[in-house]
Amino acid sequence: MTGNYFKVEFRLLVRQKGYTLLNVAGLMLGIAVFVFIYLFVESEVRYDRYWACHEQIYRITNEYSLDGKSEKIALTPFRLAQDLRTEFTGVEESTNLFFTDPADENDVSTVIYNGEVFEIPDISLADGSFFNIFDYPFLEGNADSALEKPNSIVINLATARKIFGNQSAMGKNLRTNLREYTVTGVIDKSTKPSHLNFDAIVSVSSLNDRESTALAHDYFWMTCYTYVKLNDTVDPADFEYRFNEFERRGEAAFIQEEKLNVVGSMQYFFENVSMVHFNSGLMYDSPTNVDVDNLYVFAIIALFILLTASINYINLATARSLKRSREIGMRKVLGAGTRQLAVQYIVESLIITIIAFVLALSLVEWLMPQFNLLVGKKLSLIDSLVSGGNYFFGIALLVLILLLSVIGGSFPAFVLNSFKPAHVLRGTSYTAGRFGKQQVTAGIMRHFLVIIQYVVSIGMIMATLIIYAQISFLKHHELGFDEENVFVINVPRDTLFRKQIRKTMEILKHHPAVLEVSGTQNVPGYTEGKMLFQVGDTNVNPVQTINYFGVGYRFFKLLNIPLVEGRYFHDEPGDDTATSFILNEAAVAFLNLDTAVGTPFNFAGAKGGKIVGVVRNFNSSSLHRDVDPVVFMLVPRMARYFMVKAVPDRLDEAESHIRQVWSGIPSAGSLHIISLESKISGLYSGDKKMLNLFFYFSLFVVFISSLGLYGLSSFLIQQRTREIGIRRVLGGSEKQLITMLSMGYLKLVFLSGLIATPIVYLLMKKWLDGFAYHISIHAGFFIGSILLALLLAFLTVLLRSVKVVKEHPASALKVQ
Amino acid sequence: MNIIETKGLEKIFQAESVETIALRNINFDVKEGDFVAVMGPSGCGKTTLLNILGMIDSWNSGSYMLLGHDIAKLKEKQRTNLRKNHIGFVFQNFNLIEELTVYENIELPLQYLGWKKKERHQRVTELLEKMKIAHRGNLFPLQLSGGQQQRVAVARAVVANPPLILADEPTGNLDSQHGEEVMNLLDTLNKEGTTIIMVTHSQRDASYSRRIVHLFDGQIINENLNKLH
Repeated sequence: MTGNYFKVEFRLLVRQKGYTLLNVAGLMLGIAVFVFIYLFVESEVRYDRYWACHEQIYRITNEYSLDGKSEKIALTPFRLAQDLRTEFTGVEESTNLFFTDPADENDVSTVIYNGEVFEIPDISLADGSFFNIFDYPFLEGNADSALEKPNSIVINLATARKIFGNQSAMGKNLRTNLREYTVTGVIDKSTKPSHLNFDAIVSVSSLNDRESTALAHDYFWMTCYTYVKLNDTVDPADFEYRFNEFERRGEAAFIQEEKLNVVGSMQYFFENVSMVHFNSGLMYDSPTNVDVDNLYVFAIIALFILLTASINYINLATARSLKRSREIGMRKVLGAGTRQLAVQYIVESLIITIIAFVLALSLVEWLMPQFNLLVGKKLSLIDSLVSGGNYFFGIALLVLILLLSVIGGSFPAFVLNSFKPAHVLRGTSYTAGRFGKQQVTAGIMRHFLVIIQYVVSIGMIMATLIIYAQISFLKHHELGFDEENVFVINVPRDTLFRKQIRKTMEILKHHPAVLEVSGTQNVPGYTEGKMLFQVGDTNVNPVQTINYFGVGYRFFKLLNIPLVEGRYFHDEPGDDTATSFILNEAAVAFLNLDTAVGTPFNFAGAKGGKIVGVVRNFNSSSLHRDVDPVVFMLVPRMARYFMVKAVPDRLDEAESHIRQVWSGIPSAGSLHIISLESKISGLYSGDKKMLNLFFYFSLFVVFISSLGLYGLSSFLIQQRTREIGIRRVLGGSEKQLITMLSMGYLKLVFLSGLIATPIVYLLMKKWLDGFAYHISIHAGFFIGSILLALLLAFLTVLLRSVKVVKEHPASALKVQ
Repeated sequence: MNIIETKGLEKIFQAESVETIALRNINFDVKEGDFVAVMGPSGCGKTTLLNILGMIDSWNSGSYMLLGHDIAKLKEKQRTNLRKNHIGFVFQNFNLIEELTVYENIELPLQYLGWKKKERHQRVTELLEKMKIAHRGNLFPLQLSGGQQQRVAVARAVVANPPLILADEPTGNLDSQHGEEVMNLLDTLNKEGTTIIMVTHSQRDASYSRRIVHLFDGQIINENLNKLH
């Protein structure tokens, strides 16, 4: 019997090509987007879950408060790992990983092998325990000894390939500007997705004694991430409490010993390593971390898209039941039971779902490279389906097929099973009797489902518009400095090059297309970090943490940052270095200074410095944050970037000049140049990615919904062909009839817009609150989105209604 | 005065590769106030002719003048205007809209003519009473008997006082008693000045007309005045 169902349904689907195509296309798109989002979310959830006993591994984070202001930070003092190892029971291993600057993709280290310069983006430091906790597979060398000896370096496979090709890396020497390292291991990072941010790790024993002692002693120098693997019998909450108690005693002793005037406290938290990836609230955290809210949003969107696609199927199937009523009536007469008929619909639904699934998976595989580009990942459908031990995805897909088939099949079954064979065979009207009532119920249900679809679609359009408006607002926001016509060049860390920084800058400036050149430790938008400062030459005033910003000569002039009072740093070498400070207005307000210029001001514990100038506030960090208090110091020799301001309209000339200068300096390595505007817009790459995803998702949702509306409306309009004929005969004009046919759907779409408005308003307001500078949500976004949806819905319905309305009334009246 | 004049009217149905000539060389005039019955066997083209006269179907060649308008030269919108202002239709299967009540069905042509609500109400109420269906105004067509449904259809056809009524087998779905009621209605309308063209199989119905036109295989084979009238 089941074979018969398959045969009949196949014939039916082949005969009703339009219906099959609409159903399959909608479902296929829905499933494809769902699978994309599933793979994306799954790849995020997998972070840091591959470590042996990952549930026993914790990262220690830190919340410190000074003078009533608190900051959460992922970095900790170096000494914690040692304390854990020696002072506590229940610790299996503990280790550090040093901070490398993850915010800056342009910042790279260079190594020299065989006289050739290679770039390694992030070189970090760790001790021998690191690979005991994080059990990366070693392709060369071994985990136990790799980071034991000084001047050892373990490199990632990709880095090894880049430098050594297919040759063995073991024992080879790599020289950086400071030391020569021997490769003691090659690991494959790609097998264990993790928040750990490094391309190579140098043994911490490579640090000299002075560095090691200073690091081991300090309680407030936040330089590295600390990880601990606890014994499985240890209660982490209890351990965290004891650890904080212990550290607090140490800090108190340290403050006394160093004679620091600190009003504040430190609190450490133990967070399981598998949760790190979802923590986006800490300073100096891994660049790969994600906002868990975004993942929830994507997961919800995935479900909605699937729901939208299923609704199409259900709506089309129940609408089509009108057409099939005669066939079903005949089957009932011939003895088919309710259950048999239900099985028949489910078989039909199953066939459509399976076809849609096969096509969707092919589509996913086909579009995967583009999707990977969009989300910046290396996802693979095949890997997820067949990779060892990961049966979950396959099982999930099977469950999904069954679920969609049963849901898609049961609704029509409910509608079709409700009518009496005699009625339909006699050709009694669809609106008569119990069948009529069920049809009315089914109609109401279809309306309800269409509303759900359009609430989602319009909501997505609204959200996309608001995100777009916010991002273009950020783009055009006045930052308080001239970011135009400025190139930013990375200064190599090579010691040879550093010796000729001044000379290089002079050569760079010597060109008619170049207006000004300055060095800087950091680029506006990317804050350097915080340091401890004190007002006064004594230890009376409490220590404050304030953002510091190391600049070179002529920094403020180059960026045209106005002076409020006092003076800029002197242009030429003088005594401004380390003793003169320039504050921004926010820092003056933060320190409560009545007269800033001339006030003694120092690094915590130092003497002899003073404030020489105050500059206008400018956005020195991303516009997610308000203007922070900033202290500027003159550090011309520590420049990490050159900024070159070009004459407007002579940018190309200036750039080729820079390239020419660079190629003439052997120690300069390859040139990393980017315009300041692009560099600043890089701050919002996460937001832009979000915008892109929203844009594509809303495109899909709107398309699937339109597909559904087209199918449904064309079906129901076809049902009304005769009525339309009668109305034509009675004098209804084409315009009147098209309006009549579309109005019902437009009302539904409008209602959906009204429902979506407050929901989107609340959600987007929450998102915008994450920006210190943001647009205000106005009615235009909602009205615009609703109008757009109405227009799309109208055009969709128009496609079909025009055809029916244009038909000669005489032939329309023949339709029974 | 002729309100309808056709010359050499021809209609061809094209289905796949088969061509069927439904009407050929129809020369047909109707005077104002006339009552014409078009008779002939099934498939002879009666309904097709009526549909063309009502401008709800197209033709292939020949000319058609209605109320002095050359229909071939009119745009669809002009045809719609002409139709809604001057023609009422009555069909064998009533063609009432099931989703609308009796009242709403009758009101519909007036809505399309842009009458005000108050005027519509007055006219529809008046007509409901005249047709003796005033107490059924709020019912849906399917809640009525066939005869009652056809009376509603006639009411709808005449609600806008059209000078011409086209009736396609108006009694075809009715028993003799109800059929007679409907024919009496049409007869009264004709006596009041409305021109009527009626397609029918029934000699009895045709006896109400003043003129009978016989169609066979798409051609007019015979035309005579009704002596009974």
